[in-house]
Amino acid sequence: MTASGYLDSTSEPDSPDPSLDSGAIPIDERSLWRRVPMKAKIGGAIVLLYVLVALFAPVIATHDPIEIDPVTRLASPTAEHILGTDELGRDIFSRIIYATRVDLPLGFLGAFLPALLGVALGAMAGYFGGWVDSVVMRVSDVVQAFPSYILIIALVFALGQGATSIIFAFTILGWVAYARLVRSEVLRVRGLDYVHAARVAGLSRFRILRVHVFPNVVSQALVYLPSDIVFATLALAAFSFLGLGIPPPTPEWGAIIAEGQPFIRTHWWFAAVPGFVIVGLGLGMSLVGESAEEALER
Amino acid sequence: MMLGIVLVVFLLLQITPGDPVRQVVGLRATEEQLDEVREEMGLDDPVLVQYGRYVGQLVQGDLGYSYKSKQPVTSLIGDRMVVTAWLLTAGILLTLLISIPAAIAAALYRGRTADQVIRVGGLLGLSMPAFWVGVMLLLVVALPTGWFPPGGFGETFGERLQSIFLPALTLAIGSSPFIIRSLRASLISVLNSDYVATGRAIGGSRRRLIRRFVLRNAAVSSVTVLALEIGFLLFGAVVIETTFALPGLGQGLVLAARGRDLPAIQGYTLLFAVIVVAVYLLSDIAQAMLDPRVEIES
Repeated sequence: MTASGYLDSTSEPDSPDPSLDSGAIPIDERSLWRRVPMKAKIGGAIVLLYVLVALFAPVIATHDPIEIDPVTRLASPTAEHILGTDELGRDIFSRIIYATRVDLPLGFLGAFLPALLGVALGAMAGYFGGWVDSVVMRVSDVVQAFPSYILIIALVFALGQGATSIIFAFTILGWVAYARLVRSEVLRVRGLDYVHAARVAGLSRFRILRVHVFPNVVSQALVYLPSDIVFATLALAAFSFLGLGIPPPTPEWGAIIAEGQPFIRTHWWFAAVPGFVIVGLGLGMSLVGESAEEALER
Repeated sequence: MMLGIVLVVFLLLQITPGDPVRQVVGLRATEEQLDEVREEMGLDDPVLVQYGRYVGQLVQGDLGYSYKSKQPVTSLIGDRMVVTAWLLTAGILLTLLISIPAAIAAALYRGRTADQVIRVGGLLGLSMPAFWVGVMLLLVVALPTGWFPPGGFGETFGERLQSIFLPALTLAIGSSPFIIRSLRASLISVLNSDYVATGRAIGGSRRRLIRRFVLRNAAVSSVTVLALEIGFLLFGAVVIETTFALPGLGQGLVLAARGRDLPAIQGYTLLFAVIVVAVYLLSDIAQAMLDPRVEIES
């Protein structure tokens, strides 16, 4: 092939450079799986395990998690009670298993709803500008100045103890970081040529925001979701540990640790094991989150 | 900014269900007694008048009276502040003692074993609930050795050091990963910067370069990150004080919330907010002092 022929062939629009348009690459599922980093696979497997435990809790648990048995109070581990029983004779292992059904969904919601609110508000603030922007930013200034976890204690107190209050408090106090991130991304994307082109083509502002701007900014925000799930789960457990979160007798990891703390001299596993369960979930989520952040940086 | 915070704290009273008067006078009071006390407390005035009075009292340093102990909230707060100040100071010192060497090692040997170990340690630190770390430290350090009291706050200086060490270590384990992560990143950018390359080229010794340029930058960025994490540290104090039965502000807030003592909750929340705003301000000033490039705008 001559030099000129070589040049001609690359300038032809029919044969696009595959590196420019990823949609043109034939997707080979096996190579895609191989490109997922090891730590994402390990993290994903751990998270999946917790999801399965939550789904099949009734099958895995050996006892009713809230059934009180005055005869076998504070029993040591036996074949019947793998992790012994608590002060009220409830099976600790079954309580930890059932708690997965409380901590996992609430940890997810406690991160996902603030993200949803923040992304929506940030996108509107960035795209519409003007008074929408000033209102959102002014409110976010005030929210950010607050020690948010401490305000959550006050809010949950005011709203009444329970899962709904906690999630509500998380949501109205946790959206700020997402809003700021998405707003600045929208401001960047809004100035790009293809958005101008869409506007010239006569698309409505809402449609441009939804179809052309939003998909390009949302991944920036979503990579922080896994690490926020870790924070939300830890915070939920902390509130319950303090006696201000999920009210008894619902099994919750933090609450079980609080129930076990008075007995650490004699029943160390009581407070120790639920903590390891939290750490396991946290590690799995963090691995997923780290890989997501790294994938986006590349 | 502060006015917004005061408004939010005031609104807590308005959205809290239940009759505060009933709480003060007890369940067996008659309707007339209730009305009398309600008038005395000014709770039958319009909301705006109540707000004006609340702000007026705040300006005079009056946080109202606790429903529980019938004492002024300010007198509840006084002694507790000392304990929390001890915890935060010791916690921040330990955090710096852990994170600065770790971040320097991770930055100098990045990608190698030391870096990996520190990174995994950080992930673990982030995934562990502070209250559980506290309980585990009691279990594996305090109980077997007998060097540290299992809870409470000492009278003499030595006793105080003893009683604050494990709580402070708990706080440091939770906050170090944040500092290490951002410090490592900023150190790497300093190490890659032109002026360090120049310094090396003109024959500066490695040790001298690290001391002269790298550590200074390390100090600046850890001050900033620590200040941004103050809300997190305060929540850590709430949880850790409860775990170790330390009579600090955080434990005060938890006890107030458990006892449904609204004026006390408002007082603590406001105080925590003031601490956060003050720390942000101080960190701006400290940053300007440590880094000549930063100027404070009026």
